[in-house]
Amino acid sequence: MKVPSECPEFVGKKGEETVSRYWPWEEIHLTRWFTISGVFAVTFLLLSACGSGGQGASEDEIVIGATVPMTGPLTLSGDQNRYALQLAQEDINANGGIDGKNLRIVFEDTQDSNSAAVNAFNKLYLDLEPPFMFLSSYSTQNVATSPEVAQAEIPVMYAGGSLAVTELDNPWMFRIRPNDALSAEAMAVFAVEDLNAEHPGILYIQNEFGQNAANVTKEVFKQKGVEIAGMESYGAEDKDMSAQIRSLRNQGADVLLGIVYPTDGALITKQIKDLNVDLPYVMSSGGFVPAALELVTPEELENTYGVLDTLLDTSRSEVADVSKRFEKRFDTALDPSYGAPYYDAMMIVAKGLEEVGTDDPEALRDYIANVQNYQGIAHVYTFDKNGEGVHAVTVVKAKPGTKELESVRTFLQPE
Amino acid sequence: MAQLVQTMVNGISLGCVYALVALAFVIVYEATGVVNFATGQFVMVGAFLAVSTIVQADMAFSTGYFVTLLGMLMFGLLFNMLIYRPLRKQPVINIIIGTLFVSVILQNSALLIWGSGAVRPPSPLSGQEFIIAGVNFTAHSILVIGVTVLLMAGLYLFLYRSSLGGQMRAVAQDPEAARLMGISASRVFMLAWTIAALLTGVAGILLGPVWFADVNMGDPLALKAFAATIIGGFGSVPGAVLGGVFVGLAEALGISYISSAYKDALIFMLMILFLLFRPQGILGEKIRERA
Repeated sequence: MKVPSECPEFVGKKGEETVSRYWPWEEIHLTRWFTISGVFAVTFLLLSACGSGGQGASEDEIVIGATVPMTGPLTLSGDQNRYALQLAQEDINANGGIDGKNLRIVFEDTQDSNSAAVNAFNKLYLDLEPPFMFLSSYSTQNVATSPEVAQAEIPVMYAGGSLAVTELDNPWMFRIRPNDALSAEAMAVFAVEDLNAEHPGILYIQNEFGQNAANVTKEVFKQKGVEIAGMESYGAEDKDMSAQIRSLRNQGADVLLGIVYPTDGALITKQIKDLNVDLPYVMSSGGFVPAALELVTPEELENTYGVLDTLLDTSRSEVADVSKRFEKRFDTALDPSYGAPYYDAMMIVAKGLEEVGTDDPEALRDYIANVQNYQGIAHVYTFDKNGEGVHAVTVVKAKPGTKELESVRTFLQPE
Repeated sequence: MAQLVQTMVNGISLGCVYALVALAFVIVYEATGVVNFATGQFVMVGAFLAVSTIVQADMAFSTGYFVTLLGMLMFGLLFNMLIYRPLRKQPVINIIIGTLFVSVILQNSALLIWGSGAVRPPSPLSGQEFIIAGVNFTAHSILVIGVTVLLMAGLYLFLYRSSLGGQMRAVAQDPEAARLMGISASRVFMLAWTIAALLTGVAGILLGPVWFADVNMGDPLALKAFAATIIGGFGSVPGAVLGGVFVGLAEALGISYISSAYKDALIFMLMILFLLFRPQGILGEKIRERA
């Protein structure tokens, strides 16, 4: 075996030949340029896969923008936003489009960052000058983008739940989900009135959503004269919450409340059972969305309740049809919190564009603001003066031995 | 008392997970002097290979784990050949930046291949648990602790009692002198990356059923394991395990007796204290001793 003289594995000579104790694949000397080219090729392919494609609108189409998470830890809900909008786009176009023109939705990635969300909005607005845009279901991104929306003066719909968005008083922004305060209030009221909680323990994700919802819940308990056993938090990327669960039990909690996102919600459900903590457990909607339910067993769902935005009523033919086609097309179930409202919202906007045209964003904003009792797949939408479109949440539990959900109680937002 | 013991058992189990990943940091550092910032993503790849074999291809546990580890072995070889080898004559900082770049590529590739949702691969010991004196043990957590101890012992014997392990440490100490002694640096590097990939593969297999396989699982895990490596002592196999258990216990006890809100702050404060007052960690060599 010949070895180049500069090879670092040189050992000695055998007759005329340089020999070495080295392995055949060490003969493979990849040049640096080859590697650099490879790295750039991979990067290009990845960027191409994540890109938003051709942007410009032709005369026979209406183009709107949607900024949702397409990479990073928020992709799970971002995919639901995107898939639901894609299905709505296909359905609208299959039924003749909007005013005879095809609808095209251009997506831009907000990742898990507020600045990326703002940049995505600005990019789409400058590239497309659309009459309308969708924003993500993350409140911090919605809050960060609000000034840009106000400046652009086009209506947008979003699904972040925080009251911080409505407090901005931006007349161009419309929420298509119930707000987090309503969900948090429903959790607390359900724990007291239905589960007879006397010393509930609250476990919440340590971010703006979790802290606000935990504070609302704590306040409702206080108003009802119930003293909480304790409050524990965990980081958005934490995987082991067993110490927090044990801590709440040790503090005397008789009911656990979890303010969670999907994956951590499923982890907590599993860890409660792993620890043999036999307490009723009430979760926010994240823990009961389809992606979270896929991660837990029916046994782990026993004695567990979820406050959902809604339970899709598949006895209605149109709901069953959309759910079935969604699952077939995207190989995942339609999420009632992060998927179905975007489908409904696109239908509302399509009707609005049909009625007021694409040249008058202010007229479209007024159209949306005046939507009353629109029966969608997920909710009945009525937009109020704060831009809130949904005013009810549902408490659900799994039927024994299954993951099939049934409604336990519905809460309506006070007038 | 049972509560304290339960907290400590959970802390040790959690710490063993960090220790497994910390061992992968150590083996690469011992051979190459490089801190591999893609270690967390190596674990993620291992976890998803287990998902592909056991969940998607419906293989038996033994076959699925074997194929997963075989896949990780190939992954380690490829990483060495395509990433480390072309960069190895560059300054160490360039290689470290390279591993950071690779971590992003791996994460985004996994997103395209396996999707954004978490997956829960089954455990061969799922549902089995024991309650001894009021303390709850799941069979899987005992498996994690047992495998960590076995791997630590095996790695220790390999690094400090075998000829190849000696060569590995010699290359890390002084590659030039090792080369003049007839040691094949390329082979040592290849071996180090392969062992690191196998270790992270084992970590991925063990972690999937407990924490779910998730494309974003790598970074938070690697961050804690990195803290464990610093606290235990960079370059020390027993130190990595000790550091892992230390971090796991600090986390569990911190939540139970201080506040869950400050648990990460507590761990990283401890890490900074070690860097300030005992930079070599509990069992590691002093940094200035490395050539």
